[in-house]
Amino acid sequence: MTTAIQRPTRPPFYRDVTVLKWVFQIAFLIGIVTVFWLLGTFSIANLAKQNLAVSWDFMARPVGFQVAEGFTTFPESGFEALLVGVTNMLRVTISGILAATILGIIIGVSRLSHNWLVNKLATVYIETIRNIPLLVQIVFWGIVVSIIPDIVVDETSDGSLKSLFGLRLLPEGWIFASPKGFALPWFVPTDGRWQWVGFMIVGAVATRYVYRWRIRLQEAGTAEARAFLWSGGVLLAFAIVGTFAHPVMGIFGPVFGFVAAFFQNTPIIIFQIVLAGLAVGGAYYIIKKRLDELRTPAGLGKLTDDDWFRLVMAAVVALGLALFFLLQSGPVEAIVGQGTIFGQDIGFSQLFTGLENRFSFVGGAPFDFSLPAIDGRFNNYLPDAGHVITRAYFALWIGVVLYTAAFIGEAVRAGVLAVPRGQTEAGFAVGLRRSQLLRMIVLPQAFRIILPPVGNQYLNLAKNTSLGIAVAYPDIVQVGQTIFNQTGQTIPIVISWMAWYSFVSLTLSAIVNRWNKKLKLVER
Amino acid sequence: MTDQAIIDCRGVKKWFGDFQALRGIDLQVTKGEVVVIIGPSGSGKSTFIRCINRLEVHQEGQIFVDRIELTNDVRNIEAIRKDVGMVFQSFNLFPHLTIMQNITLAPIWVKKQSKSEAEAYGRELLERVGIPEQADKYPGQLSGGQQQRVAIARALAMQPQIMLFDEPTSALDPEMVKEVLDAMKELAKEGMTMIVVTHEMGFAREVADRVLFFDYGQLVEAGTPEHFFTNPQHDRTKLFLSQIL
Repeated sequence: MTTAIQRPTRPPFYRDVTVLKWVFQIAFLIGIVTVFWLLGTFSIANLAKQNLAVSWDFMARPVGFQVAEGFTTFPESGFEALLVGVTNMLRVTISGILAATILGIIIGVSRLSHNWLVNKLATVYIETIRNIPLLVQIVFWGIVVSIIPDIVVDETSDGSLKSLFGLRLLPEGWIFASPKGFALPWFVPTDGRWQWVGFMIVGAVATRYVYRWRIRLQEAGTAEARAFLWSGGVLLAFAIVGTFAHPVMGIFGPVFGFVAAFFQNTPIIIFQIVLAGLAVGGAYYIIKKRLDELRTPAGLGKLTDDDWFRLVMAAVVALGLALFFLLQSGPVEAIVGQGTIFGQDIGFSQLFTGLENRFSFVGGAPFDFSLPAIDGRFNNYLPDAGHVITRAYFALWIGVVLYTAAFIGEAVRAGVLAVPRGQTEAGFAVGLRRSQLLRMIVLPQAFRIILPPVGNQYLNLAKNTSLGIAVAYPDIVQVGQTIFNQTGQTIPIVISWMAWYSFVSLTLSAIVNRWNKKLKLVER
Repeated sequence: MTDQAIIDCRGVKKWFGDFQALRGIDLQVTKGEVVVIIGPSGSGKSTFIRCINRLEVHQEGQIFVDRIELTNDVRNIEAIRKDVGMVFQSFNLFPHLTIMQNITLAPIWVKKQSKSEAEAYGRELLERVGIPEQADKYPGQLSGGQQQRVAIARALAMQPQIMLFDEPTSALDPEMVKEVLDAMKELAKEGMTMIVVTHEMGFAREVADRVLFFDYGQLVEAGTPEHFFTNPQHDRTKLFLSQIL
């Protein structure tokens, strides 16, 4: 008797892997949505019982408080108040990341130094800083500033001011220190700065071309590159020329005006269709890319259940978005600037109107050099004179910078040490000098190892700025807290916080990941 | 010092802490000579050739390479390193650079050649070691034997007068050993001065002009391959050879 090849029998559905996978994926999705929906409705119901209906109205309403520092100290609405908090947070984050990177590299390299003193100093720095909680350090720096002797008016003489160490100071001086913070001379931006920034953007593009041109010359062997020197020179030239020639950028004013008018006057249905088209097109692109990846020379590879789930989800989300854009004109109007968001008249149209106004202005120097000054009666720094570093800003900034730099330093050290000794030896053996070796062999390899942990430290720094609340730094957390103390709207504020910090963190990690991908070593 | 001695070592001694790795090595190598160093591990043979291009610093004695003495003078060290190529046991290719960039890096930055000039010569070298088609790949994409041949090409790119090989086949799969040894034989035939630390007795027998036996930081015995493998004088040499042959 011959045995016929048996067709594989389909198992019953409750044992079928494919069915089970789909059921679990969908059940999980439904579960998640349900949990959040229940949490949302319960808390809204509970709050309503206490006469606290969740409402975003405070975003549009005037707030009854003043913010200690920021682009405006008298915000006109809750939205603007939060915006001040956001910009204050970014101010610390961006300058903090720059400073912590530089300091961290110095600390990391110092720890590898053969110079005993430098090495030990770096070790002591790292071991001290990273073993003390950041909150304690921020409070500590706040106290350090607050015990600086105050500036007092010297009644015995002509009303001049006495500052630290009894130095006699005029109402206007170079550097001030007081419990309120520090004030330094600074280039205070004026209305012409926007045109200058536009000029510098052109300059940056030009610099990029010059840099490539020099590298090409080097590769062709006609000249030494000196690419950094050249591109630095070009950028500097643009900065200097731009200081005088920036009104040239005024020609862009009408262009921006035209774009603003376009967003304002085009019928909203066109934007709805475009956005819906973008959603569908995006999904099409994602699906096509995925299918192309799966395609083998023999034809389309077998789609796994996961692939199917991904493709179906992409299509469903895209169609959902497209329908949303087509049926709901409100959000689209808000985005292009024909409607309002939280009662704010913002959107693309307003963005370009703003650019038009700033570029059409034809004025003098983009920056004024200004010395700090003091209001003699109240010992306050005049906000528009020089650059004022408030106590809160300083304490938070120095706290996060010193703290993060310690960790970055360790990452740098680990990265340099992780480059195998053989690489150094091979570099020496072909005759490279120590500096060339460092630049072309060790650092490029160390950088790949350093980048992921340092990216994490950037994220930590961004999130740690929320500790500024300990020294009353008006970031989004402190401002938000003031708002919900007044309005009782805790949930919208907490949602705003979460949305903002997620946005910053995701942006930062996207940048770092992209960079990381570019640097990845090619292995078979 | 004889006129034609391109490497001249006199009483070279080296310590690692308390451990004396080299106990006074005297060696003259003439131009075009192929010297093979054998010996048990820990006998100081790798340390010795690493002293010749100053990857290790000798503490006593003198080393002259092409009549330049190796001292703390950076200019001497740089001059000698330009003249001495080295191939390592673990290849030590630069993983972040392509094969071509690995080869042309030093000619461009140390010898200040133009990129096109360096690349033309690099292609010629890759041809010579038999892997011209790998120029644009990265080291991680090559087999061990191919990587070691790239390492040889990289060292040759500086057009050195002397080549040092530090156990070039020890990290290779057996079937890849031959392709590397062939490249080295080719090089020896062209008249390159070579010092080779190896355990490949077949190579020593076939290619070497002189075989040196190191033990315990000392040069125990030296001679032609024939003398060495058929009629060793020293007991220690006899013991070593009886264990490996």
